[in-house]
Amino acid sequence: MIQKSINGILGIFTALLIGAVMMLAQGFDPLATYQSLFDFSLFRSSSLATTLKNAVPLVLTGLSASMAFASGVINLGQPGQLLIGALFVTLGGLYIDLPPILMIPFLVLMAMFGGALWAGLAALMRRAFNMSEFIVTLMLNMIADFFTLWAITNPLKDESAFSAMTPPITRSGWLHEIGAFNPSILIMLAAVAGMWFVFNRWNAGYEWRITGQNSLFARLGGCKVDRNFVSIMLVTGALAGLAGGMVVMAGPHRFLRGLGANYAWDGVMIAIVANSGLIATLLYGLFFSIFQTGALGMELITNVPSEIIVVLQAVTVLVIVASREYLNITLDRLAAKRRARERF
Amino acid sequence: MAAIEELISLNNIVKVYPPNVLALDDVSISFREGEIHALVGENGAGKSTLMKVLYGLVPFNQGNIFYRGRRVRFQEPGEAIAAGIGMVHQEILLIPEFTVWENIVLGSEPVDQWGRLDEERARQLVGEKIQEFQFHLNPSARVEDISVAARQKVEILKLLYRRVSVLILDEPTAVLTPQEIPLLFAELSRLRASGHTIIFISHRLEEVLALSDRITVLRKGKKVATVEAGETTRQELARLMVGRDVLFLSRRKPQTPGKVVFKTENLNFVNNQSRHQLHNIQLKVHAGEIVAVAGVEGNGQFELVNAIMGLNQPTSGKIFVDTTDITQTEILERRRLISFVPQDRGKMGASLSAMVMENAMMTHHRLNPRFILWKGLLLNFNYAQIFTDQIVDRFKVILSSKFSPFRSLSGGNQQKVILGRELLLDNPFLLLDQPTRGLDVGSIEYVHEQILRIRQEGKAILMISADLEEIFLLADRIVVLYRGELVADLPSDKTNVEEIGRYMLTGKAIPE
Repeated sequence: MIQKSINGILGIFTALLIGAVMMLAQGFDPLATYQSLFDFSLFRSSSLATTLKNAVPLVLTGLSASMAFASGVINLGQPGQLLIGALFVTLGGLYIDLPPILMIPFLVLMAMFGGALWAGLAALMRRAFNMSEFIVTLMLNMIADFFTLWAITNPLKDESAFSAMTPPITRSGWLHEIGAFNPSILIMLAAVAGMWFVFNRWNAGYEWRITGQNSLFARLGGCKVDRNFVSIMLVTGALAGLAGGMVVMAGPHRFLRGLGANYAWDGVMIAIVANSGLIATLLYGLFFSIFQTGALGMELITNVPSEIIVVLQAVTVLVIVASREYLNITLDRLAAKRRARERF
Repeated sequence: MAAIEELISLNNIVKVYPPNVLALDDVSISFREGEIHALVGENGAGKSTLMKVLYGLVPFNQGNIFYRGRRVRFQEPGEAIAAGIGMVHQEILLIPEFTVWENIVLGSEPVDQWGRLDEERARQLVGEKIQEFQFHLNPSARVEDISVAARQKVEILKLLYRRVSVLILDEPTAVLTPQEIPLLFAELSRLRASGHTIIFISHRLEEVLALSDRITVLRKGKKVATVEAGETTRQELARLMVGRDVLFLSRRKPQTPGKVVFKTENLNFVNNQSRHQLHNIQLKVHAGEIVAVAGVEGNGQFELVNAIMGLNQPTSGKIFVDTTDITQTEILERRRLISFVPQDRGKMGASLSAMVMENAMMTHHRLNPRFILWKGLLLNFNYAQIFTDQIVDRFKVILSSKFSPFRSLSGGNQQKVILGRELLLDNPFLLLDQPTRGLDVGSIEYVHEQILRIRQEGKAILMISADLEEIFLLADRIVVLYRGELVADLPSDKTNVEEIGRYMLTGKAIPE
């Protein structure tokens, strides 16, 4: 636990340091830049709320990837599952109208169903034709990308709009801010808590984790590895789909071109940085959201281009992932040296 | 400093495997030119580590090494070989698809002026070496077609080809049958006569006494003593090795077996290359009986275990436990009847990175109703803790916490957890695949006691073992697997090590 925290703080600190050097080299003031970065993501009125809201798709797709990786399933279909989840929410919100108390849960379920359906397709291919989910989920991303684009440019297009987008979904399906905070934050936190519970308290979660660590042992122990594989695909697909639903319901309230942005790939990256830990995924997701949210403000105040954030993220990932093993090995080596010296 | 007559001396070697496993604790040892020097000790005593330190495979923390009067510290095995020290590892590291001569010259091939492999010359060189050391090998045979003993010869020849004068052999007899061991020893003696120095690692005391000039005993990373082979006895060596007196007696009490619990009918398994891996296996194990499957590794043991456990579907035939046909059933259903201790703890028996508790509760989490809450949705982790404590108490597991990772336990304690988990399933049939592999003497004794205890409880036990001593100690009946066939089925008190060895080697009672 302490080691993980050291690892994370070290990574972030190094990234900020390298970022500062780059800014100095180009004649910018790093202190002022970082001040505006954190001002606009944490300390200004309602900026914290924006950061949290922006974290929702990052954390949910990250959670999806973390759960899959920790269970030994290579689901890399979060981008596609997110889009299909968003499409299902849009469809539900365009054609069905219920009072908000029913509409919101209904749309949440639609989002999860959409994502699970898309992931389930990959699971089906694996079970029926023994096709690796790794490649199938990646390919399904492309299909989802162009399928949703077709859907919003043709059958679902808002005729009054100039670019490809659907009309807005029914107002009873919108997630309105309560005070400054969007309720999607609560749904994200509930998803993290729920998944933690499934992973650590459910019988199935136990089997998933052990299968991720040693699938032959799990199989010989009587775990139904094949059935678990399908469940993991469906659950992680549902999480990515939920991310898409949240983007639509909390954000533009319609499906517009480029809706998925880079959320899902960032989510996969977060899962890797978090070493597939669920709580770590939440924390790193929030942290990346600080970077991304603050970047816009930073660009407003200073002359530093917001692309610097991409650099900061990349360096954070590299330092944390590279130092994770290295830190362990170094600490172990130091302990061994100390022990050896004690012999004389 | 190093005395002149010593060829190699290792002084005050300390090796700590990170983070804090003290593998070698101030070990000093020296080897003389032209001797056969045995290193004995239990598993984990540090024999292999010491030799890997010398060979440059493992870096060491303290101490120094002198070789031919010069201080050396090999950074990699290549340097050691160049200096004339070669090591044959426990696992044979050859390319099966290559021929004997190809394997031998690989890495230092004779070439013509264009840098191409000079095949003729290579064959000739290898042929000369085979002649010189009288190794009875066919240089053109493919390694996959020759016996394990012959492969070992290839490994040795590979080093001799590189003009190595010091040979280190790590447990060379572990893979051999009783008949092959004297042949290896004759070859080693010939090598000694031609001026080679041989260091060989073993934990089998008879062999050590028969072959070596001097013997060094290691225990728990420390050197206990170096003795002249002519001036010691097996009993004394055993006491030095273990630190107390060891009994070599079977405590198996006579017992009449009950009904048939486990049975196979015409079990066949053909693998993808359509070669028979298991051929018409007819096997019966009665209640209160231990049946041992003897055989050289790779004669179908793996396929038999996989078929019984449900990892592979047999091509034809049936498997029964307690009159239930389990040939087609799911693994979880089999686990209601079969307890299974696999040979490889880290691969099949446990998840090394999971907690001890999570390893202890495997299978029970589905079969034991006390683990199950909410109709199987939730796991009862309170009960899991109680259950783990039970295993720890009953099987005397030494551990820091049941929440620490499984890999932090010693091999013996890992095996106790696995054995405890499987015994508490309380199944009528137990499949034990090399249940004492890699354990120290104390743990082996403990595991043997447990196996005899469950035999007394009337369970049926099928044990696969490569260790004939263990087989004769425990088994009521011995069957021999040879090229996928059961070639012998003998009561253990009506046969002997030599006979079983012949079956293992040739598949027949009398060799042609």
